Amino acid sequence: MEQKPLTIYENMQLRGYSRRDFLKFASWLAAFIGIEASGVGNIVRAMENKPRLPVVWFHFQECTCCSESFIRSSHPIVSDIILDKISLDYTETLQAAAGKQAEEALNETMKKYRGEYLMLVEGSIPTDDDGIYCCIGGRSALDIVKEAASGAKAIVAWGSCASNGCIQSSKPNPTGATPIHKIISGVPIINVPGCPPIGEVMAGTIVHLLAFDRIPQLDGLGRPKAFYSRRVHDTCYRRPNYDAGLFVESFDDENAKRGYCLYKMGCRGPVTYNSCGVIKWNNGVSYPIQSGHGCIGCSEANFWDNGPFYQHLASFPGFGIETTADTIGVVVGAATVAGIAAHAVSTNIKKCKMINQAINDTNSSTEKEEVKK
Amino acid sequence: MANRIVIDPITRIEGHLRIEVEVKDGKVVDAYSSGTMVRGFEIILKGRDPRDAWAFVERACGVCTTVHALASVRAVEDAVKIVVPPNAELIRNLMFCAQYMQDHVVHFYHLHALDWVDVVSALKANPNETSKIAQSISNYPKSSPAYFSDLQKRLTTFVNSGQLGIFANGYWGHKAYKLPPEVNLIGVAHYLEALEWQKEIVKIHTIFGGKNPHPNYLVGGVPCAINIDDANALNAERLAYVGTLLAEAKEFIEQVYIPDLLAVAPYYLDWGGIGGGLENYLAYGDLPTNGYADVAKFKFPRGAVIGRNLNEVQEVDGKDAEQIQEYISHSWYEYSDGDDKGKHPWVGETKFNYTGPKPPYDQLNVDQKYSWLKTPRWKGQAMEVGPLARVLVAYASGSTEVKDLVGFALGKLNVPAAALFSTLGRTAARGLETMLVSGWSKEFYDQLLANIKNGDTRTFNNSNWEPSSWPKDAKGVGLTEAPRGALAHWIVIKDEKIDNYQLVVPSTWNASPRDPKGQMSAYESSLIGTPVADPEKPLEILRTIHSFDPCLACAVH
Amino acid sequence: MEKAISKKVYVWQMPVRLYHWVNALVVVTLAVTGYLIGKPPALTSGSEASFGYWFGTVRFVHFVAAFVFFFNFLFRIYWGFVGNKHADWKNFIPYKKEQWKEIFQVLKIDILQVSNVKLKSVGHNSMAGFTYFLTFLAFLFQSITGFGMYSAMSDAFLPNLFSWIVPLMGGDFAVRQWHHVMMWFFVIFAIIHVYLVFYHDYVEGRGTISSMAGGWKFIEKE
Ligand code: HEM
Ligand code: HEM
Ligand code: NFV
Ligand code: SF4
Ligand code: SF4
Ligand code: F3S
Ligand SMILES: [Mg+2]
Repeated sequence: MEQKPLTIYENMQLRGYSRRDFLKFASWLAAFIGIEASGVGNIVRAMENKPRLPVVWFHFQECTCCSESFIRSSHPIVSDIILDKISLDYTETLQAAAGKQAEEALNETMKKYRGEYLMLVEGSIPTDDDGIYCCIGGRSALDIVKEAASGAKAIVAWGSCASNGCIQSSKPNPTGATPIHKIISGVPIINVPGCPPIGEVMAGTIVHLLAFDRIPQLDGLGRPKAFYSRRVHDTCYRRPNYDAGLFVESFDDENAKRGYCLYKMGCRGPVTYNSCGVIKWNNGVSYPIQSGHGCIGCSEANFWDNGPFYQHLASFPGFGIETTADTIGVVVGAATVAGIAAHAVSTNIKKCKMINQAINDTNSSTEKEEVKK
Repeated sequence: MANRIVIDPITRIEGHLRIEVEVKDGKVVDAYSSGTMVRGFEIILKGRDPRDAWAFVERACGVCTTVHALASVRAVEDAVKIVVPPNAELIRNLMFCAQYMQDHVVHFYHLHALDWVDVVSALKANPNETSKIAQSISNYPKSSPAYFSDLQKRLTTFVNSGQLGIFANGYWGHKAYKLPPEVNLIGVAHYLEALEWQKEIVKIHTIFGGKNPHPNYLVGGVPCAINIDDANALNAERLAYVGTLLAEAKEFIEQVYIPDLLAVAPYYLDWGGIGGGLENYLAYGDLPTNGYADVAKFKFPRGAVIGRNLNEVQEVDGKDAEQIQEYISHSWYEYSDGDDKGKHPWVGETKFNYTGPKPPYDQLNVDQKYSWLKTPRWKGQAMEVGPLARVLVAYASGSTEVKDLVGFALGKLNVPAAALFSTLGRTAARGLETMLVSGWSKEFYDQLLANIKNGDTRTFNNSNWEPSSWPKDAKGVGLTEAPRGALAHWIVIKDEKIDNYQLVVPSTWNASPRDPKGQMSAYESSLIGTPVADPEKPLEILRTIHSFDPCLACAVH
Repeated sequence: MEKAISKKVYVWQMPVRLYHWVNALVVVTLAVTGYLIGKPPALTSGSEASFGYWFGTVRFVHFVAAFVFFFNFLFRIYWGFVGNKHADWKNFIPYKKEQWKEIFQVLKIDILQVSNVKLKSVGHNSMAGFTYFLTFLAFLFQSITGFGMYSAMSDAFLPNLFSWIVPLMGGDFAVRQWHHVMMWFFVIFAIIHVYLVFYHDYVEGRGTISSMAGGWKFIEKE
């Protein structure tokens, strides 16, 4: 431990890369995270001088698919990140140590690198009933998260669980599942939503932090603009079909076989911010829409409660699955018309008399009143 | 007095597992397995559209992603009577196979290997010797002395940096590690190779389901349309891509995974006598070759083996109210009519009732309720599920393919059949079935191409898609074999909505707490008798627990 | 009958009338195009996307109408401060006791049909005014949610003034859902509104219908 940790550049040198390779890598990195050529120098300096960033990765109420997605990243490759670029000192999914030894590894990093380590959170935190719905080593997730956040340089909330609460927070949220940003304040938090997020988006976020030593530009919801500023719909290759009004009417119909737009199959692309249409999944192989299923909006808050997924509109609470605002609207509209018809009939029956009466009244009473005056 | 050891978190698994054991004279004499995280899926699913359920339950787990989606669409199709077209069945099979290959390889290298491979010892290996050994067990091309010496340098730098990252605080140097440095170096090399490889095979999910983890499924078939004459559907290019991925996967499994398994096993043959645990095995079977209704034509047969009697397979029926039941006498739930009865999942209940210690705590009250897992039983008996159960049920069902492969492995290692009932047997069975699956996937692929060639491009059955076509009340069950074992979902539909939804998951079978009779489930039972050389470094416990490939997010949900 | 029993009053100034008809036209357009956006019919198939743009056109019409609608609405608010007393904004908010009394009166006359007293109001009655107030709130809601959604596809100044509504409502889905629900408010409002105009014209005989065209109403002489 006395030894000074090696910088990324030193690491690369030891792996037999030349200075030229290193510079090439730096400019590739720059291109990857989309900065100007003039910024390459900064990256080079950053990597020459930095020890591997200590990172702790927590797992709470989750399905671990964010970890799985992370290890699917193709650029950069994950083994390169975890061996050469960061020091992943705690992650229950992959670390060798268990039990006591795992906790010791965590505590050591939190102590030694206080204020310097990066905290990654996968999963939401249950806040009901003293946090008994998620305990690790006999401690509640809530307790752990508060302690760890107090010494973290920044927090990355992986996936919809950590950034929005995801499935376990959908109605009726039986455990009080809560996203990290509603629990922690005072530490910068980067939300990387998606169920899971795209592997390259996750790796890209880490690379950004490493190379620039600063938080990427975030939008109003704390998401890196580079990955979440566009709706899936605005980068969807089926968009021309949408504009032309060419829609799939049923799965596997002729229109589906021609790759028409999935809007009428409930596609949430028009209301979902994510990079699926651009970066795509698993090194650009495909994305949900390209493989024939509509977007379910997995990077949006509350997307689980916006179902049913195969309908454009959510069903109306308290009615059947297929009952939407339109069904209700048509019914209310029809009732209105019926009410009006009834009203008109009754007007004619009742008011005819009154009106006749009124006409007579006016004719005679005006005269009388005139006389009085 | 026995000595209580608590391991929490158990790492290199999915989810939050806590193991408490009593050790006496260097051996485990009592064991308790507890799941410490719950999300409440079965509560959340109530009242939702049954056609959406697959997406919800798929999120039970991102490690065995897809298997819950498959069980779910089958449950709904069973309830509202939909038969999916043959191509949809084949595509589901291909996704199933891809999942097995990825999940099993990741388990072997990234979750299990460090129990057997001493990373630090690899620093002492002789690269030339390593290369010789590697070339003697496989013709995998990355085996030159230079390859191993480069890797060793990289590893040395890493260790010398003082930042050991995921390898920090491992049980390096523990005397239960038996491999020579050269084999350890091969292990480390393939740890990294496998990490790169695993992201390739899942592209099969991406092609058919749009993404991985969590590809898309569809009640009534699969969402991807086939049209070999269009750019926007499954066409020749997409299908060829699948073919290539399958071929590369087969190569990796045959040239890396299986040779490594057979190279490591001889050093740990004593583990062929440790960790056997239960004597009952359950498999629901899967990989239909003639439609999901024709169970006899499944590649993995369905059945139960009781008392390790490989001469008989008992029939398993998911709909029989007496066969599969869940108990909660030691789980943090309550049943409306008493906590001692078992409930068939169609009438199952999920209501939290935490009675454990308030955190932070040191020990659970193991004589009361002590886990978020329910306890499933088959005809009242505790069953092991998973690769070993599948292989044994197939063996006992008379599958020649399985018998030959098992015979070959036993012969190669020169151990008796009894060695199967063990920690080692479980780990070996996983490798063997991966081989089978990679072979079968090619058959499904060829069949899919043949269907298309003959003009059948259907992937979805539209009848009964609209909820208005469903009966007012319907019930269904969807059975499958997840990588970790027998998985089933039970659904009750009322007025087009989910009225009850229950998941009984492989890791629920294996990792559950005791039942009302005090019978242990697989994890607890397999730990009894496991040696523990150093109670401070319970490496041996990890070995046996990891041999099941725990997934606690699955198990509790 | 030959005696002059009524006198002519100038109620609706030209700008109000212009506003009204532009608004009526544009709201109908927005409802129709909006409905089509929410539930496009299967018009074409077997075609290539590059040959068609009808759905894009529907959306375009919706957006053009939306801008007209919005500025027309702003104009009416302005006129509520500078126009004549019938156009005044105070008519819309029942802050006085008499206004509430009239509201109940109207309910008795129009809905329950149990009363036959004559109303004092010349412009709209308090009930109508209040309903229009609610309608104005709906206009506002529809504009905010509409431009909120629009801001995702635009860098223009105006739509981005409203982008805050998206996180506030919990995401684009919810915004769209409520924007859609609100369409039904307009449909139902229009049905009732048009009926009531005819109804009042019929029972009161003060020229309610034509007042929105020419501006004049007829009231009884004092
Ligand atoms: C009376 C006024 C309006 C009515 C009745 C109306 C109605 C609708 C309806 C029914 C939809 C379809 C929603 C869905 O199901 O997805 C819609 C969409 C939309 N409306 Fe409006 N709307 C009105 C005013 C506005 C205004 C003032 C704007 C401002 C720009 C606007 C912008 C939009 C946008 C951006 C969409 C989404 C279109 C797309 O992304 O394709 N609307 N509207
Ligand atoms: C045949 C169609 C229509 C006729 C004859 C008509 C007639 C009238 C009349 C006579 C008034 C004055 C009511 C009063 O005396 O209190 C009025 C007011 C109003 N109408 Fe209509 N209307 C029609 C359609 C519509 C439509 C489609 C809308 C759109 C939603 C609409 C919105 C309004 C509003 C907002 C006012 C209040 C005007 C103000 O004071 O600014 N009208 N209309
Ligand atoms: N246990 C379990 Fe799973 C599997 N295999 C699912 O059913 O891992 Ni997450
Ligand atoms: S965000 Fe989705 S994918 Fe990630 S852990 Fe949560 S449930 Fe899994
Ligand atoms: S498929 Fe979905 S995202 Fe793509 S254009 Fe259609 S609606 Fe938009
Ligand atoms: S469902 Fe998720 S993966 Fe992308 S296309 Fe939609 S955001
Ligand atoms: Mg369950």
